[in-house]
Amino acid sequence: MKTKIREENGALIVSFEGDVDLQSSPDTRKALLDAVGQGKAVFADLSGVGYIDSSGVASLVEAFQKAKSQNNKFILISVSENARRVLELARLDKVFTICDSISDALDT
Amino acid sequence: MSESPSRPNSFFARTAERVGRGTVNAIEEVGSGGIIIFQSIFWLFAGPRYGQPVRFGAIVVQMLETGIHALPIVIMLNAAIGIMLAIQGIYTLKIFGAESRVTFGIAIAIVREFAPLITGILVAGRTGSALAAKIGTMRINQELDALHVMGINPIRFLAAPAIFGMLIIIPAVTFFSGAVGLVAAGLYVNVTLDITLLSFFEQVIDILSVDDLMHGLTKSVLFAVLIAVIGVVNGASVTGGADGVGKATTRAVVQAITAIVVTDMIFAYIATLS
Amino acid sequence: MTENVEPDIEVRDLVAHYGPREILHGISMEVRKNEIMVIMGGSGSGKSTLLRHLMALEHKTSGSMNILGRDIDSLSMIEMFNLRKKIGVAFQSGALFSSMTVAENIMLPLFEHTSLDRVTMDIMVRMKLEVVELGGFGDLMPSELSGGMIKRAAFARAVIMDPDILFCDEPSAGLDPAISSALDDLILRLRAALNMTIVVVTHELESAFKIADRITVLDRGNILFIGTPDEIRASSNERIQKLLNREPDTEDIDPDVYLGRLTGKEEYGGVEL
Repeated sequence: MKTKIREENGALIVSFEGDVDLQSSPDTRKALLDAVGQGKAVFADLSGVGYIDSSGVASLVEAFQKAKSQNNKFILISVSENARRVLELARLDKVFTICDSISDALDT
Repeated sequence: MSESPSRPNSFFARTAERVGRGTVNAIEEVGSGGIIIFQSIFWLFAGPRYGQPVRFGAIVVQMLETGIHALPIVIMLNAAIGIMLAIQGIYTLKIFGAESRVTFGIAIAIVREFAPLITGILVAGRTGSALAAKIGTMRINQELDALHVMGINPIRFLAAPAIFGMLIIIPAVTFFSGAVGLVAAGLYVNVTLDITLLSFFEQVIDILSVDDLMHGLTKSVLFAVLIAVIGVVNGASVTGGADGVGKATTRAVVQAITAIVVTDMIFAYIATLS
Repeated sequence: MTENVEPDIEVRDLVAHYGPREILHGISMEVRKNEIMVIMGGSGSGKSTLLRHLMALEHKTSGSMNILGRDIDSLSMIEMFNLRKKIGVAFQSGALFSSMTVAENIMLPLFEHTSLDRVTMDIMVRMKLEVVELGGFGDLMPSELSGGMIKRAAFARAVIMDPDILFCDEPSAGLDPAISSALDDLILRLRAALNMTIVVVTHELESAFKIADRITVLDRGNILFIGTPDEIRASSNERIQKLLNREPDTEDIDPDVYLGRLTGKEEYGGVEL
C-alpha cells in the first residue's frame, strides 16, 4: 500500500493506493494521524483503495475523532462500493462526511 | 459416551476389563502429562517464532494467584506447623532432658520436609484444583475448541503459563514458608525454654547446610510441576457436564497430593543415599 | 454465483469415526466463494461431526479437505495457524472465555495475531459490538449476558479479524424466534459487507430457507441432497420430504433388534443417538 500527501486550497489530501488490511493499516493510521496533527482540514482519498478492512476503518474513525476535537474537517473522498459496505455495516456512513470528489469536498 | 460393543458377562472378566482399562487410562494420563511438559517447554522457546509466545503477563497472573493470594493461609499453616514441631520436639526431648537441642529437629524438619510438603499440599488444594476446574469448564463450554479455531494453541496459552508460573512461585513460597515456620517455632521456644529468638536463629543457621535448603527447594520444584501438570491433565480430560468438572477437580487434588507425598518419599530416599 | 471460481471449501470422500463408530461415510461437497451454505440434518445425521471436521478440530479417517485452496493435510503447523486466522467460528454455546470481559473476548484474536495499536483494536471491538447491537456491553462479563447476547458477542468475536470463512454452529438454537431472525439478518449483512463465505449448521427450517444459497442435507452420515432451497422444496425424495414436514423417523426398525434394545439384550450401535 502506498500513501501520498499533497496540499490543495489549505486542505491536506491523503491518498491511498492498494489494500488497507491488518498489515498495512498501521501505516494508514500513522499517515492519517500525522496529517490531522498538522491542524488543517484533511481529505482521505480512498479512490485507489481496492479493499479496506475493519482495522483500516478503525484508523479512519480515530483520525476523524482527532480532527473533530480540533474543530477541523475530515472528509472521505470517493469511497468504493466495498468500502462503503464496510462503513455501512457499522453505520459509519451516517458519521463520516463522504464526498465523491475533491472539488465537492472543497465546497463543503 | 460411546460404549464398547462387547460386554463381558462374568464378574472376573468385567473386573479384569476394568483393571485393564484403568491401567491403560493411567498410562495415557502419565503420557499426556509428559506431552504437556514437553510442549510447554517447546512453546516457551520456539513460541515467538510461530507467533505463539508464552505471555509473561499470563505467567505473572499465575504467580500472583498461586503465591501472593495464598500468603495468608501459607503463613497460618506454617506457623501452626512450626509451633506444633516445637511442642512435640520439646515434649520428646524432655524424656532425655535435652529440650535445648530441640532446634535441631525443628530446623531440619521444617526446611527439608514440612515447608515444601505443606506448601505443596496447600497449592495442590488451592491452585491445582482451580486449574483443573478452569480448564475442565473451558472444555465443556467449547472454549478450548474456540482457542484452537482462533489459531491459539491451548497448551501455549493455558498450560505453559500455569506450569512456569508455579515453577517460579512455588519454590519462593516454600522458602517463605520455611522462614515463617522457623519464626513461629522460635517464638514458642523463646516463650517455653527462654532461649532468645536471636540465639535460636544462630543455632538454626549453624545447623542448616546449603544441602538442606536445596533438598527442600528441589522438592518444591518437582511438586510445582506435578501440581500444574496433574491439574491440566485432569481438566483437559473432563467429559460430560458440570459434574464431570467436579469429579476432575477432586481427582486433581487427590492425585496431586498423592503424587507429592510419594515423590517426597522417593526423593528423600534417593537424596540421602550415600 | 460464478461456477468457475475455485471453491473456498472442498471436501472429498470424507470418512470420519467417533470412537469405534463410523459417523461420516464418505462426504463430498464444496462451498463456493461468498456463498451461504446451510448444513441440515436430524440429530445423529453427522452434521456436527462434519462441521468439526470442516473447522479442522478432528482427525479424519480418510478423504481430503481443501480450505481456501490449501490441502489441510499438507499444511505445516505455522501454515495451519495462519489459515485459522482467516476462519471465524461462532460456536453453539458461544464459547466466550468466562474469565474475560466481552470486549476482551472479542479482542483476543487481534491481541494474539496482530501488532495493531491498542486504540485501533479498541475501535475495532466497539465497531463489531455495534454491528451485533451490543454497543456499550463490552465491559460486562459473559455471565452477565443473556443467551441471545452471548451468541451475538460470539459472532462479534468470530468476525473480528474479517475472516474469509465463517462457521456458525446452530446460531438460532435455543433462542426465541425474534432474536433468531435477527441473527439470520446479521449473517446476511455480514456476508454482504465483508464478502464472507459462510457455513451454517442448523436444524431450523425457516432459518435455513431464509439465509441459504444452497443447502446440504445429511442423513445418517451420508449426503442426501445438495441444492438451492427451491430445489429442496421441489425434491420428491421421501426422506427429504419427511425432514421438511418434520415427520418422525420410523424407518428401518427391525422388531427383534428393537425388542432386544428395550430389554437390554442388544447394544445400541451404528449411528450416535
